[in-house]
Amino acid sequence: MKKLLAALAAMCLLAVLPGTAAAAEPAKKVIKIGVTQSVDSMNPFLAVRLVTGSIQRMIYGFLTVPDSKTLKPSPDLAESWTTSPDGLTWTFKIRQAKWSDGQPITADDAAWTFNKMMTDDGAKAGNGPAVANFASVTASGQDLTIKLKASQASMLDNPVPIMPKHVWEKIKDISRYDGEVYPTVGSGPYIAVEHKKDQFVRLEANPDYWQGRPKVDELQVIFYDNPAASIVGLKKGDIDLIGRLNPPDFESLTGDDNIVQWNTQGRRSSYLQINHGATTSDNKPIGDGHPALKDVRVRTALHYAIDKQKLVDEVQNGLAKPADGSIIPPLYKDFFWEATGDEKVTFDLAKANKILDDAGYKKGPDGVRTMPDGSRKLQFRFSIHTDTPIEDKLAEYLTGWFKEIGITLTTKRLDSSKFTEETGTTALFDIAISGWSVNPDPEEVLGTHLCSRRPTASGQGGGTESFYCDPQYEDLYLQQQKELDRPKRAEIIKKMEERLYTDAPVIALYYPNDLEGYRKDRIASITPIPEDKGLLYGGSGYWPFYTVQAVTAGESGGKDGGSSSGVIAGIAGGVPVLAIGGFLVMRRRQGAADERE
Amino acid sequence: MTVTLEAPEETPARHGLLRYAAAKAGGALLSIAMVIVATFFLFRMLPGDPVRALAQGRNMTPEQLDLERARLGLDKPIPEQFVHFVTQTLRFDLGDSYEYKRPVIDLIGERIGSTLLLTGTALVMAVSLGIWQGARAGWKPGSRFDKFSTAISLVLWSVPTFWLGLLLLMVFAAGVGPIPGVFPTRGISSVDKPDGFAGVLDVAQHMALPCLTLVAVVYAQYLLVMRSSVIDEVEHDYITTARAKGLRDDDIRRKHAVPNALLPTVTLVFMRIGFVVGGAVTVEAIFSWPGLGQLFYEAIRVPDFTLMQGTFLLITVSVILMNTLADVVYHVLDPRVRSA
Repeated sequence: MKKLLAALAAMCLLAVLPGTAAAAEPAKKVIKIGVTQSVDSMNPFLAVRLVTGSIQRMIYGFLTVPDSKTLKPSPDLAESWTTSPDGLTWTFKIRQAKWSDGQPITADDAAWTFNKMMTDDGAKAGNGPAVANFASVTASGQDLTIKLKASQASMLDNPVPIMPKHVWEKIKDISRYDGEVYPTVGSGPYIAVEHKKDQFVRLEANPDYWQGRPKVDELQVIFYDNPAASIVGLKKGDIDLIGRLNPPDFESLTGDDNIVQWNTQGRRSSYLQINHGATTSDNKPIGDGHPALKDVRVRTALHYAIDKQKLVDEVQNGLAKPADGSIIPPLYKDFFWEATGDEKVTFDLAKANKILDDAGYKKGPDGVRTMPDGSRKLQFRFSIHTDTPIEDKLAEYLTGWFKEIGITLTTKRLDSSKFTEETGTTALFDIAISGWSVNPDPEEVLGTHLCSRRPTASGQGGGTESFYCDPQYEDLYLQQQKELDRPKRAEIIKKMEERLYTDAPVIALYYPNDLEGYRKDRIASITPIPEDKGLLYGGSGYWPFYTVQAVTAGESGGKDGGSSSGVIAGIAGGVPVLAIGGFLVMRRRQGAADERE
Repeated sequence: MTVTLEAPEETPARHGLLRYAAAKAGGALLSIAMVIVATFFLFRMLPGDPVRALAQGRNMTPEQLDLERARLGLDKPIPEQFVHFVTQTLRFDLGDSYEYKRPVIDLIGERIGSTLLLTGTALVMAVSLGIWQGARAGWKPGSRFDKFSTAISLVLWSVPTFWLGLLLLMVFAAGVGPIPGVFPTRGISSVDKPDGFAGVLDVAQHMALPCLTLVAVVYAQYLLVMRSSVIDEVEHDYITTARAKGLRDDDIRRKHAVPNALLPTVTLVFMRIGFVVGGAVTVEAIFSWPGLGQLFYEAIRVPDFTLMQGTFLLITVSVILMNTLADVVYHVLDPRVRSA
């Protein structure tokens, strides 16, 4: 037994000694990005997670990429493009460049990628909707021709990475292929060279990248299962950057001189989803929403009873912007719409009360309003997730304000899958919390409020964020799809946001800030996207991690000091363990001596 | 560890053992069959549509959602799904994960090694520590050592794993005041893991904190069981006899009392071995340990039915198998069980 203990103690001792790897620091410039999501699949035809999407952006070229300044679609693998007058035929000129294995990139690669997705159901899991409107894709030399079924203004925000045909056409069953072959053959600024499941992905600079080699030699995308541990990792220097922080974790970085707290506008909007009379895709009522919420006056009164600034201050610790618009956040300034003048809803309980009084919802003796016909009290359920304290806090404030206008709000906590079902398929809710991260082209988020996204009675289909079905909104959606002139299209999209704002099937609460942190003793400079107050991790395109520059060895005095103090610390920590180990070994010897006696 | 037992009569005992083992194995098979059936229905009863959950927050057309349902076999009636599940499982095929789009058996295979390494090491350490302290504590109940070690182990036993893990992480990985942050904050190895012996050291360094957390929260049970059985043994006549022979106190404890007192602990250890496979979901989550616990946690978060089913089956089956083994081993170790 003691032998065992001694052996284990020795192991502990070894474990305490700092790894020899730290001592032999390579001259490579390495940037370590922490993420709290693991990679789901290295096969881009299958992967759906944000982290994987970000990695794909660094490995593969796309037809276009959002411009780093304006976020307008700009050339990537497609160096130019033309559109037929009817907007149905798009011709892209593919750049003369090389795959990382030296083969030339041709339009045939792009055509193969899209055709694979159009013809093989197994290849649709990752980005299926992106080719749903494609009628045919053909290639001739460097010219790629895509014929559409209907016009689609979002064509230039195509999210499909272009894959090397000569590598991927050999794969028989793409739906079960894991893509774990390294180094990957790609056309982006980095090449994936190693992936350890649930641990990290290692990317090396692509020396032949058509825009020039990135300024660092290696990127490591390191997975943390636990955000608290990732914060410790950043403070300690195990990682150099971490994005998508929540307010408390972000605030815990305050006071660390080596860490830059990155606080800019984000790409997400948080809103309330109101069950305004949910229906299925064949227009039959579904769910058990409160009838009062079918009345736009009630929904507007609720809107007036929400103090968004207070929510930002108290629920988001001030790290958000109150929403005077709708589902598109101000980060996308071309498409962002904000209410002004009379249309603007401000926190005004008296006005909310007046709207409800005028609409005939009279207060009972208990202060709770009833339906005009007296049939039901205005008691609404507020559906939130079980595991998010922020939503509990939000519920407290809403309950308080709604009480002031004679409406009882009770909180209903649901685990996430039940929540998704009740608020997205079965419509068993009155008011629910929701949100959406918006892409540079807002078509996707706008599409979540279309009639066609409502589920069937048996729960098939779906994808709605509101059960909304409004002729005016539908009409505007079709218009913006056809409008290829960006400013004109933006005007139509703004009208859609205005419609959502005034009809209130959803009520936007705030736009959470993009909260990140990075070590300035490791990262000399990094350019966000968009360059003016944009995102580092989780934005669109490869820009931040293509431009990132590491602090060179000469400047990083602190770092070396850190590693040598680590050695001292290791030795100091090792002493007690050594003592215990020694004690146990001694005991064992003594025991053996005893036995011999 | 030698166990002093009366020599059993050779043939009938062996015969009895085989029959006993066969009966136990039969029972285990029955349990496993029930687990397979229960697993299927348990995970079908969970709320939420897995396809909707997969589609949460992303752009999916209704056609694509239906395509996903077909891919996952969810468009078929429940009885058909059930028959498919059972035949598949009997062929050791646990299906394809919804989220990772790969065979569940492969996903498990990739992670089982790191889980066994962590939980196995922790089990050995916890058992050794528990038995050692328990034996000494039970030998002189009420002594300072007894009070001290029992109290500490009980405090650690009642501490929430998540809290202890995070605390250790904050103190020994980040470093607080004079305490240096020597240990890494995550994972099983560094990204630039060196080869050879240095690589082993690297893994050991990564394993120290998760292992310590696991040991700290569980060793109390071995300590307490060991302690109480040693207390029982102390009163027996053979101990008095040994004393009368003039043996050293330490020797009496080590060579006479402890072997006899080990039996209940052995059962406990075997029962715990079954759980080793299940890993330690919490500890793996805190230290980002790439094992089965983390996989199970991810599966629940999605929710990924096939992955949950697969990991759940693996865990329950290994617990059943180890319990059966414990029964058989106990039968071998303790003659009294045979007559019962």
